Parts: sequence; structure tokens; C-alpha cells
Amino acid sequence: MSALPAVDDLRATFRAELEGITTPDQLQELRNRYLGRKRGVVTALLKSVSQAPPETRRDLGRQANTLKQEIERALAERREEVARTPAPTDSQAKGAETVGKTIGYGADPVTLSPTVRAELSVRTPVDVTLPGREVPLGHRHPLTVIREEIEQIFTGLGFEILEGPEVEDDYHNFEALNMPPEHPARDMQDTLYLDAPLRARGARPGTLLRTHTSGMQIRYMETHEPPVRIVAPGLVYRRDTPDLTHSPMFQQVEGLLVGEGVTMADLKGTLETFLRQLFEPDTQVMFRPSFFPYTEPSAEVFISCVFCSGDGCAVCKRTGWLEILGSGMVHPAVLEAVGYDSERLTGWAFGVGIDRIAILKYRVEDIRAFYDNDLRLLEQFPY
Amino acid sequence: MRILVSWLRDLVPVTVSVDELAEALTAHGFEVSAVEPAPPIPDRPARGEDAVLDIEITTNRPDCLCVAGIAREVSTIYGGAITWPPVADAPAGDDALPVTIEDGALCPRYAASVAEVAIGPSPAWMAARLEAAGVRPINNLVDVTNYVMLELGHPMHAFDLERLAGGELRIRRARTGETVRTLDGVERALDRDMLVIADGARPQAVAGVMGGADSEVTDGTVRVAFESAWFDPVSVRRTSKRLALSTDASFRFERGADIDAPVRAMRRALQLLGEIGGGAARGSIVDRYPAPRDRATVVLRHHRIGQVLGVDVEPDFVPATLERLGFSVAPESVESDGGARWRVTVPPHRVDVGREIDLIEEIARHHGYERLPSTFPALIRPPAAASDALSRQRLLRRVLTAGGCSEAITYGFIEEAAALPFVDRPDELVRIANPLSEKFAVLRPSLVPGLLDALIHNRRRERRDIRLFEIGRRFTAADGETSGFAVALTGSSVPRHWSGGERPTDLFDAIGLVDRVCDAFGVTPAYEPPDERGTLVADRAAAVRATAREAAEAVQLGHVGQLAPTIAQARGLPADDAIYVAELDLAAMARAGVDRRRMAAAPLPRYPSIVRDLAMVIDAALPAATVRDTIRSVAPETLVHVREFDLYAGKGIPDDRMSLAFRLTFRAADRTLTDVEVQQAMDAIVAELKTTHGAVPR
Repeated sequence: MSALPAVDDLRATFRAELEGITTPDQLQELRNRYLGRKRGVVTALLKSVSQAPPETRRDLGRQANTLKQEIERALAERREEVARTPAPTDSQAKGAETVGKTIGYGADPVTLSPTVRAELSVRTPVDVTLPGREVPLGHRHPLTVIREEIEQIFTGLGFEILEGPEVEDDYHNFEALNMPPEHPARDMQDTLYLDAPLRARGARPGTLLRTHTSGMQIRYMETHEPPVRIVAPGLVYRRDTPDLTHSPMFQQVEGLLVGEGVTMADLKGTLETFLRQLFEPDTQVMFRPSFFPYTEPSAEVFISCVFCSGDGCAVCKRTGWLEILGSGMVHPAVLEAVGYDSERLTGWAFGVGIDRIAILKYRVEDIRAFYDNDLRLLEQFPY
Repeated sequence: MRILVSWLRDLVPVTVSVDELAEALTAHGFEVSAVEPAPPIPDRPARGEDAVLDIEITTNRPDCLCVAGIAREVSTIYGGAITWPPVADAPAGDDALPVTIEDGALCPRYAASVAEVAIGPSPAWMAARLEAAGVRPINNLVDVTNYVMLELGHPMHAFDLERLAGGELRIRRARTGETVRTLDGVERALDRDMLVIADGARPQAVAGVMGGADSEVTDGTVRVAFESAWFDPVSVRRTSKRLALSTDASFRFERGADIDAPVRAMRRALQLLGEIGGGAARGSIVDRYPAPRDRATVVLRHHRIGQVLGVDVEPDFVPATLERLGFSVAPESVESDGGARWRVTVPPHRVDVGREIDLIEEIARHHGYERLPSTFPALIRPPAAASDALSRQRLLRRVLTAGGCSEAITYGFIEEAAALPFVDRPDELVRIANPLSEKFAVLRPSLVPGLLDALIHNRRRERRDIRLFEIGRRFTAADGETSGFAVALTGSSVPRHWSGGERPTDLFDAIGLVDRVCDAFGVTPAYEPPDERGTLVADRAAAVRATAREAAEAVQLGHVGQLAPTIAQARGLPADDAIYVAELDLAAMARAGVDRRRMAAAPLPRYPSIVRDLAMVIDAALPAATVRDTIRSVAPETLVHVREFDLYAGKGIPDDRMSLAFRLTFRAADRTLTDVEVQQAMDAIVAELKTTHGAVPR
């Protein structure tokens, strides 16, 4: 096997150049020129093997590989020699050292090639403690943050999320919910009425601002066969004078589940899961009898106080419990109003105030703060 | 409802501590909101720890607006027997006075009696108990009626008999034009829907609401007529609302009183009157009850309790509980599945019980909510996907927050003055009939006024750079309720950085945001001169339009522009602040958009593109979009992108002209383009621009 001229030439040139090497970075530069992944001449030689004529391919391959190993060995030997020789004088290595220290690449400036070193050494040092450019990113409203969290939990529990109109008619807001005209329970929700009926999507013109999102229950059941599993979030309106805990407009999420064999125990299990996901996994949940015209039996649901963990504080009035939502088994009259069989089907519903949850979770003292839209508040919340 | 524990002990043994009692009542649906120390009650044994419980009584339980009602619950919870307070024997003799019910529908039952009395103060124990319950003692007569109401729950009234014309009582509707001066001294106009208690001449009381001042019991009264009646709840409620007069009596009657109670309450009042030496009955008790009502019966099935509650309740627990609450329970033949069932007779004080579910509630309350297990409903049908409207809102929120806008939520009702500029005519506004105040008088026709107020709120708190958005409903008489979103921007677009480069917000920041949203919704927006719109600055505004996806018709999406400074200033913003707003309709966006969730990705280009710049001097009034359209109209399909990159007017350009520079990108899907091809296209474009717009290459 005769040596191929190209291989021999390369070997000779390399040997000559190696002689002149005195510093680690010169050595690195030499290595790059011969063995560099992209520009290395030996690397290129090895790559060319596959294109060589079949008769010379095998020889060329073998010799090129040998040359590569030789060069690697020689470079390794020379690296040790260079390391043993005393450090270059200041003037000789100024560039490399300055760059190494300023940029903070550590104690081994050897890794910087002359090209890179040259490029960096002409740059002004940068003060990395200066602030970066602001990335303009807006914030979701805290009530939206809570609302989407609730939607997500109930989506996970298999609920469909729906929205209904804010201007409602009396039938959907009250009557179909077992609150006929003159029902004293209507006093529980002081209603804002419109001056004149508003053109409506359905048959009945809207005459009032919904006092709860429960009207959506009726609208859905009127148009869907059971089983029903929905959650309806949205704004609701009451004729309440604004103060620390009241706002004439607030957000509510209403949940409804109707089917065969649905029990109050299911309501309890579902709401416990929901509240533990929303607050803390160890949140205590308590059900107490209450009254709503559209559910029976009805339950007010309490959680262990998020401020004192149930020890008793000013917020929970020393009870250790916070009222968080209203719920109950759907009143058979409500099922009958939408034409459901109230003997075959049972269901439950709940309504929870998003504002109230936000107040408790984020410890905002004044519900009105949510509607001031003060950026100093909004910007505290996750995006 | 304030309940004195020592009074409660008159009726039922209370063997637990006051705190335990309060907790138990709360756990059974009677929330004790406060436990207060009891005042000393002279001459009445406390029989243990005393206190006043402040109890929230839900609207369905008017029977518990008294000591007796709470006693029934306590008896059911703890098992002690109820001792009913003593009542006077029914006095014999002729009817005490003539009583005529003229409207039996609004007053099915009216009992009355007459007593000769000596008016004076009540004994200390009675006055103290009334005060503990929150009722001011007045004189022995009035106090007796109030005492009976607090104890047995039935409201009573006493007339000065000498003041009743003809010494008679007529229960009738008020006549047109009639008035009555009520006990609070107010002269009240009555109407034909209101029930009154009249004497032979005129109304002496508003039935179930308040007595009249003319027949008020005074220190000089010697004979009284007691009233103990039952009035139609709806009628009392309507009258009370119409007169804006709510009393302890109307509160109870409108929720439903016990129709069996009038005579019992009357006999208790007469007994108390005798006990305190205030007087004695004269003549018998008149009881007008022409059509006695049957007690309702309800069938309760044991298995249904389990079906609703999801807990197994011992069959024996059911009749035992209901009987203690005052129901009569008769077992019925066993159901085919072997389950028990009962026929339950409802006592008339339980106005809330009319069907099986009402009894199941009673069982649930007394069995204990804490004993309900926690289970999960079976998922029998696959859940539906999130609605399109909701998905669009979430997408919109992502795009706008990524665009640097923070979300605001503002009131759905606003001041009329703030709303007016946003409608063409005042009658477009949707007004609230009973607004809380002028601040909340009309439903917002646009999201902009609310956003503007939020922006001003922040401007007044040292914020200069503000970007807000809101997603919400708008209301107008013509369009009804619609969903939209709006943005409001002011201050710097690029905030100041130490490296420089601050830039104030301008119209094209707002347009850029609209572009982004449109892109997200798959809408291709066109910006055109707006129709007459006073809310925006004339030369800094555009109507945003697009083409509907399904029908090839133009869709009006909304507007973008600089808010008219007069509007901002009217709300208190400094005059030199420029505010840019955009408001788009979400339904229109949906109509004009394609669902980007169902898109297919375009293959990446395989061949290089050729970029050419072209600067043309054109008429300064010519919209860029028109020039762009002209370019596209003659360009081959290899022109994949046209974008304006420079606009210059001034030195070197004639006054009414401008230089508009476009960057054109050419690329073919199947080959590398040649310079020659591209040059031919450029030549054609330049020629067309010259012909169509008189454009000159710069």
C-alpha cells in the first residue's frame, strides 16, 4: 500500500505547524483547523472517502484515519508540554485573560479560539445588573383567574360550561325556579328591573337583570334531555348598595347535575372535591341546612377558615368556618317546570360567588376593589 | 328572631349548655348568629343558664318566628316533651261584638273578643321578656298581644272599642279614595286591592299590616276589641310593599301564619290579661271561619329518602321525628319492594310542607347533614366540549394579555351621561327602572365608558402607561344584549428603557392589537373611514369590517380610533392625554372568522424567495390599502407578501404627495424564481401604479 500524496502532504504541513505552537489557544486553533467538525481539513478528507473511486476508497479511508489518530496524539502530547512551560507574560496573553475574567468563563481561557477572543476583546464590558427590556404582558383580572380555575376543575369533573343572558325574564329568573310572583323568597335577592322590556333571543322579552345564573339551568333543561351536567358562570346583579362585602354586580358560578340516582351524598362528595382543589387539599367542608326555593333539601356549605385554619379569627367571627356557597337537591317543581320526570330524575345544584372566593383566597378586604381595576392590584396576579 | 332561653324553658326542657343549644339549632337550619347575655327577668325562674339567641329564620319557616316554634325543634332534637302555655277557658255567652267578613278570600278566618281593661304598665317580667326579644313594652294591653306573638307566633291587634263606629268590625277591601292614619302617624292612601279592618264607617286598620291611630289603645281606653285573624299572604305582601310598610305582623302573615292559631292565641291573650290583672273578657270569642280548611296529607316513602339523600335512614327514625315536629304519621301498606311508607298529615303551622320532598328535608335536617356520606355521581354521558363562545373568550384573553393589555371588569350599568355619546338617540339606551343611584342608571351600550373610567382611575394614581381590555355584554334597545370586547390605551407604547427608545402610543398600536385579534380569530380585517361617530376623533378613526365566512356579505366588526378628547375630559382626564380605543363585536368576529382550531398547517417553502423594495410617490390622500390592492391585482401569484415599510412626506416630495415604500416578497412553491421573472412582475406593478394612481417611482 503506497501512501497517498494528499495524506502525506497534510501530515507534513501539520508537523511543521505544530513546531511553532507555544500557547494553549494556538494549539486549540490548530486543532480546529485540522480536526474541527466543520472546517477541519482532516475531517473533510474523511468525509471525502465515500466519494473516492472504489479502487482507492479503502486505502484512503484507512490512511486518513491513521492520520487523524496521529494528529490527535501529537496534539495531546504538545498540550502537556505547553502546560508545563511557564505562563506567558502579561503582554502576550492579555487578550485571552481579560476576556476570560470579564466574561466570567472561568479559569480556562484556552477554550476561546483567537477569533472569538478577538471579537469579544473589542466589546465594551456589559453591566448585567442593568434591567432587561420590559416584555409587555397584560394580566388577567383576578376574578377571571378564579373563574377559569373553577371552570377547569369542573371541566375535569365532566361538566359542560355555558353562558346565559344577563338580561333575563321573570320566568327564567324566578318563576321556573319555584319562586312565583309575590313569593317572599324574592326578597332574598333584591332585583333591578328594566324600564322597558329588552328585545330577547327567546320568546320572552327580558325585563330584569339576572340575580343569579340559575336561569341558565332552566334554559338548558328546556332544550336538552337529561342527564345534565353543566356549570354556568357569569355576571349577576342585585340592588345592593356597595360596601366592603356587597357589590351591585358580581360574578357567580352555578352548577347543575340531573340524572337517575343522583343523591345529596353525590353533591357532598363533588363539592368537597371542588373546594379542596380550589383551596387547600386539607380544607374541611361542612354542610348545614338552609333554604332556597329552587332546591330541597338545601345546604349552605362552609369551609374551614382560610385565615386561621379553623382556630377562630375575626374574619370567621371566631367560628373557624367560612360560608362559601349555597346548594341543594333540585326542587321537583323546577324539574317539572322544564318537563322533566321528577320521580325518575333527581339532581343537585349549587351557586358560588366568585368575588367571595377571590376575597378569601387573595385576602382582598373590599369587594369594590375588583371593579376599580387598579393596575396596582391587577398586576399582582398571575398572567 | 331573638329567643330568650329561659322563656324557651317554659315550653321545653333545655338540658344542654347555651352554646351547645346554639350549635344544635344552627346544625338544624336555624343559624344562631349571636349569643347575647340575657337581661335579668324578675319573678321568672331561669332554670339554668340564660341567654338571648339571635336566630336567622329562613323565609320558609315562619312557624319558627316564635318561642313555640323553636321549642318544637328543640323537642325534636333532644326529646323533651313540650309544655304548652296555659290558655283561658273560652268565655261563654253571646258574641262579644258584630264581626262581618266581606272578603272571605283575603280573610278566611277572623276571631275577635272584647275585654274590659285597666290600662297600665305590664309587670316587670313581661316587660323584661319583651325587651329581651327586642320589642319595646308600651302598656299591658299592647304588651299582651306582642307577648302572644313572640310566644306562639300569631300576630294580634287590639282596638279601642269605644272608638269603633257602631262597635263593629268589618273585614273588607278598601274603597277608592279611602285613607287611614296608621299607628306610626302616617296618613295612608288605600286602594281596592288592600284589605282593611273597618268599623261601621271607615277603615281602622290595614289588615295584617298595621292598626289605625284613631282606634289606638290609649291610657284612657276601657274596653278593647282583640283581633286574632288569618290573612292571605299574597295580599298582605302586596299591601305591605305598596305602602312601603313592613311590620312584625306583615312579616309573619306574608310568610304564612297558622290558620288554626287565632282562637288559641286569643285564649292565651285573655289568660295573660287575667294573670297580670289587666282586665277580663266580656262575652264569648267570635270565630268567623266559614270554610275550615282540611289538613294536607302527604305520602312519604322510605326508599325515596335514600334515593334523594344517598344515605340509609332507619325506618323507625322517620315517624318519630315527624311526630315530634307536630305531624301526624300513619303507616300505610308496605310497598311492593318491602319498603315502608307513611301517610303524613301536615299541621297548619307548617306552611312549607306540601309534598314528599318537604318531608325528606325534615328527615335530612334531623338525621344530620354531617351523616351524609361523600360519594360521586356516575358519568353516564360523555361531557361536551367547551362552547365556542367560551373558547373564543379564552383565546381573546390570551391574545390581548400577550399584547400587554390587562383585563378590567367594569359595571354593567353606568351613568346616563357617560352612556349617551355611545348611542345615536337617547331612546337607544336601556334604562333601569329602580336604579340604586344615578351612577347605575342605564345599561352600558358600549364597553368603552367603563374602560375609560378604569383608565382614569389609574391615571389619577400616577400611572401614565395604561393598556386595559374588557370582554363583556353591551345593551341597546335596537340590538338587545351583545357580546364584545374593547381595549383602551394611553401613555407609552414602548416603555422607557435605559437603552432609550420610548415611543408614545398611537393609533397604529390600537390597529395592531385589532390585527392580532383578527388573526387569532381567522378574520381578515379591512379598515375604512368610519361612519359618523362622535366618540372618535374624525381623522384618527376607522371602521373595522370583514367579509362573512358563509355568505359573501360585509360584516361590521366595530371601530378603532382615538377617543374624542371631550368625552375623556368629561370624565376627568387631563386634556393632553391621548386615548386610543377599539371595540369589536364577538358575534360578528365569529361570523367573519374561521375556526383556527380546525386549521391545517401549510407546508414550509422549499425554494428561496426574492425580496424587492418599491418606493412610489403618490397622492397623499390615497389609502395604502388601495395601492396594496392595485399591486396585488397585477402581480403574479408568486407575490406572497406585500408590506409597507416606509412612509415619507416632506423635503423632496411635492406638498400633496407622499412616498410610500413597499417590500414585496416573491416565491414559487415548485421552483426557484429567476430575477427575470421577478423583474417582469415589478415592471408590470410599476406600470399599473403609474396608470391607476399616477404614481412615480422615487
